[in-house]
Amino acid sequence: MGNWLVYILNGLYFASFLFLTSLGLSIILGVMGILNLAHGSLFALGAFVSAWLIGTLTGLPPGIAFLVALLAAMLVAGLMGILIETSIIRPMYTRALEYQLLITFGTLLVIEDLIKMIWGGTAYYASKPFTIMGNMHFLTNQYPVYFLFVIAVSFLAGIAIWLIMGKTRVGIMLRAISMDRDMARAMGIRIGRLNTLAFGMGAALAGLAGALIVPTTPALLGIGMEPLIIAFIVVVLGGLGSLKGALIGSLIVGEIRSFGIVLFPEVELPLLFTIAVLILVVKPEGLFGSK
Amino acid sequence: MSGERLGRREFLKNAGLAGIAVGAAGITGAGFQVRSAKAAEKRSVPKTPIRLAAISFLTGAAAAPFGIPADNAYKLCAEKINSEGGILGRKIDLQSFDEAGGGDSQVKLARKLILEDKVDAVLGYISSGNCKAVLPLSDELGGLIIAYDCGTHELLEEEKSPFKFPKYELGFRSSAHLGIDNIGLALFIEEHFKGVKKIAGINPDYAWGRESWLIFEKAIKQLIPGVEVVNTLWPKLFTTDYTAHISALIGSGAEIIHSALWGGDAVTFSKQAIGMGLFNKAKMAYSRGEPYPQEVGMEFPEGQIICCAGTHYFLYPEHDKWPLNKWFVESYHKKYGKYPTYPCYHAYQAIYTYKAAVEKAGSLLGGWPTQEEIAKAASGLSIETPSGILTIGADHNGREDVLVGISKKVSGHAFPILDPEMMAIYPAHQVNAPAGIRTEDWIAGWKA
Amino acid sequence: MEATNIIKRPKSYIYPAVFILLIVLPKVLPTYQLLLIQSGITFAIMCLGFNLLLRYTGLLSFGHGALFAAGAYSVAMMGKYLPSLYRVEILIPAAICVSILVSALFGFICVRHTRIFFSILALALSMVLYALLVKLYNFTGGSDGIRVPIPWMFGIAPTGVRRMAFLTGNYHYFLVCIFALATLVMSAIVNSPFGRALQSIRDNEVRAEMIGIRVRRYRWYAFIVSGIFTGIGGAMWSFVNGHVTPESAEWVFSGEIVYMTLLGGFTVFEGPIVGAVLFTYLKLYAVSLTQYWMLIIGATLIVIVRLLPDGITGAILKLFAAMKRERNKGAS
Repeated sequence: MGNWLVYILNGLYFASFLFLTSLGLSIILGVMGILNLAHGSLFALGAFVSAWLIGTLTGLPPGIAFLVALLAAMLVAGLMGILIETSIIRPMYTRALEYQLLITFGTLLVIEDLIKMIWGGTAYYASKPFTIMGNMHFLTNQYPVYFLFVIAVSFLAGIAIWLIMGKTRVGIMLRAISMDRDMARAMGIRIGRLNTLAFGMGAALAGLAGALIVPTTPALLGIGMEPLIIAFIVVVLGGLGSLKGALIGSLIVGEIRSFGIVLFPEVELPLLFTIAVLILVVKPEGLFGSK
Repeated sequence: MSGERLGRREFLKNAGLAGIAVGAAGITGAGFQVRSAKAAEKRSVPKTPIRLAAISFLTGAAAAPFGIPADNAYKLCAEKINSEGGILGRKIDLQSFDEAGGGDSQVKLARKLILEDKVDAVLGYISSGNCKAVLPLSDELGGLIIAYDCGTHELLEEEKSPFKFPKYELGFRSSAHLGIDNIGLALFIEEHFKGVKKIAGINPDYAWGRESWLIFEKAIKQLIPGVEVVNTLWPKLFTTDYTAHISALIGSGAEIIHSALWGGDAVTFSKQAIGMGLFNKAKMAYSRGEPYPQEVGMEFPEGQIICCAGTHYFLYPEHDKWPLNKWFVESYHKKYGKYPTYPCYHAYQAIYTYKAAVEKAGSLLGGWPTQEEIAKAASGLSIETPSGILTIGADHNGREDVLVGISKKVSGHAFPILDPEMMAIYPAHQVNAPAGIRTEDWIAGWKA
Repeated sequence: MEATNIIKRPKSYIYPAVFILLIVLPKVLPTYQLLLIQSGITFAIMCLGFNLLLRYTGLLSFGHGALFAAGAYSVAMMGKYLPSLYRVEILIPAAICVSILVSALFGFICVRHTRIFFSILALALSMVLYALLVKLYNFTGGSDGIRVPIPWMFGIAPTGVRRMAFLTGNYHYFLVCIFALATLVMSAIVNSPFGRALQSIRDNEVRAEMIGIRVRRYRWYAFIVSGIFTGIGGAMWSFVNGHVTPESAEWVFSGEIVYMTLLGGFTVFEGPIVGAVLFTYLKLYAVSLTQYWMLIIGATLIVIVRLLPDGITGAILKLFAAMKRERNKGAS
């Protein structure tokens, strides 16, 4: 019984990172119609900023230092997103798809090397927050509090985005753009600024995900590659550009992985991709996508 | 610094003599008779420096625990050799390259180094995948390649025993393969945890992990016949979330869990496992776990079984009994602020194997030897290293003793060290298959 | 729009000249340089196939690495499991068959979509293959891949032959011939009624449907033909590289395929060929020049996309056109 609860929690924990990453990816895709291949590098940027700060701010109380690290990671990744959008991507909106994809691919390569230039090629360990939060016990099981913290943060971030998109003027305009770009423009919505905002928001979410992961694993070059690919799967599965899809997609992928490793350890990764493809064959627009 | 005062040159000369004496069997090969006839021709020693390419991970996950320390050790050794007059009077021009980028990039790099840059030897590779991809290039391109750290036992073995050796005329490995780690672990478990009933494995999903588990499983089943394997997990390299794997291991009820996870993966796994309480229920046995206590610090749990990829440990052999280790540990620590880890010792072995082989062949030939002659001289060579004696077998594979121990917090050290009371050394003949026999077949032939 | 060729009737003199140049290369180039060119040529065959989809069908595949890997692994797996059939004259057709199977399956799923949906689906499918190649360790060698031995070639045994001698010898001429053949066949395809139908679908799907072209079916055919070329490229490459790994099925390599094609210029028929060879050199020299080679490659990519949308060949063509106008102006 306790074991099954742990498996579910493991799935939720994995899904939390996926949700944050794919949410950002999905916002950018929905609002701007751009598949941002550099999204994983923004995740990595968040991871490095946070790992570096946790290691540097040893003078502060650990809780405060971690909070600073999280916010700084979001800020840096968000600003980097804004920089990318305004300097590299903005002239591309009218260009063909292959150029848009390639330019984000180029951006990915550049950011990866910028990270290498700034932080060097070695691993950054920053496990303090993980250790300090300690463990909790239930039934016969032990579980790190930090994992629950990650689940909670991701849940809160999801609610915040849902409120922004659903209740604020900006959010409504963003949704209008993602439904019909030309119509939105005709209605006098200033698309340029909102694009920048959406990109910055998506990037900050990726940065947050990266910042949350480093207390459990060292920040390494290329740490963003795998989250990027799995976030793709989530976005495809959930329906391109759908926020609800990102949530459900993350949960599905997270739980499939968790139970897959326990029940069929040999096939975890191919299983994931195969299920995604099967769903797409049956329902090509994704679970919550619109044609 | 009494090691310095002992006179290292003297020490090495003796080591060299010992090497030639022990390795005499290797020289009697047909090749050398031909060479010695040629030796009458006047040979010269080129004035140019020796160009050695050292290839280790300088970026990525394997950089901090393995690649950078090993690269540091290469530099330390090259400086030492140069300050003592070089090899046959030639100075070493050491160039470091990054091993990152995967097998295909490494094949391209090795081709460039051998064909275009014409280096004298390539000393490299931490990854088993890279070793497998690159070592065959030695004979293909006619360049000397010494694999120095990778563990795959398949590298120099063939499909069926007995097999013809050496597999590559110009390809070597100047260290023992992963057989010694995993056989050593099995022997240690038999010695100290004889009553174990359930074991499991969590190993990275590529040659290194798969083969480590294969050898360990075979060996432990030979030594403790009733033991049951309750789970084997194969996480991808650089997995960041092991929670599902840890749950599966806890659920399996294993008492000892074998793992060849390395670097950041080993650290990530250990930390998440501590949090999820795995260590309350099971013990880990890390096949090359030596660097991680230093890497993780005091958080690294006590009581874990750790193997050292040989006898490479900064506290063994004891410094007063083996001054070479004292010299190595102290000069490394002085220069880089850390203690040398096993890849550093492997780097020493590679560069000094090259040196000893050139000097042996050179002294017989009276001049600078060709690549083929260096290879002939290296086969069967024995040299003294900071961790003891290294022998290069006729199959071009290194043979070493192996050290297994248990992590323990001891005052005066900033990280858990191996409990001096419980260190076990298994001699080379007990953990290495003889040349020409596959390691698996050799284990299968053990008498209970 | 018709296929633009570099000069008016290139086949009459440029093609033979390049062919002869490639044939004499082993006599003039050092081995190492020759290997690079060979690598470039195999990529060129692949990019020709890729560009059939991108330029002539208007579909951007971000998963073509999987089809390349299909060709390369067919060779490697036959070497491992069917050594008696390990002959070039059997291996290449076998690689073609596997490529047809894989691309028919991938294509069947992908061509139900266009634009970014098509790209992402191709990417997802290529990652399925990648994950399988990595995971099925006992069958595929996992992430370490499989070594590719030297094959029998037209009755000549590989025993005692060193790889370099093989590659600089007969294999080189075989590769050049396959490359020439691939170029001519692709050129014929894009100028055939089939090729024109693809272009009309690309330009206006609805109109194409109205004049009776079965759009989805044609896209599927195009995907398969593209996959065959890519697979042949992979098979030929596997001998040059001597080792195959799942890296070629990973999406990063698929990205590089797009890169090569755009670098050369996808609007020009020969553009992908130029791009493939150039990219091989660009990457190698960036890697040996600095540890920040990704920065160089990435920045180059951004500059090309921004300033040279038609790639190198496109830019050269424009330059020629401008010079011609200049000259005409001077004459008049």
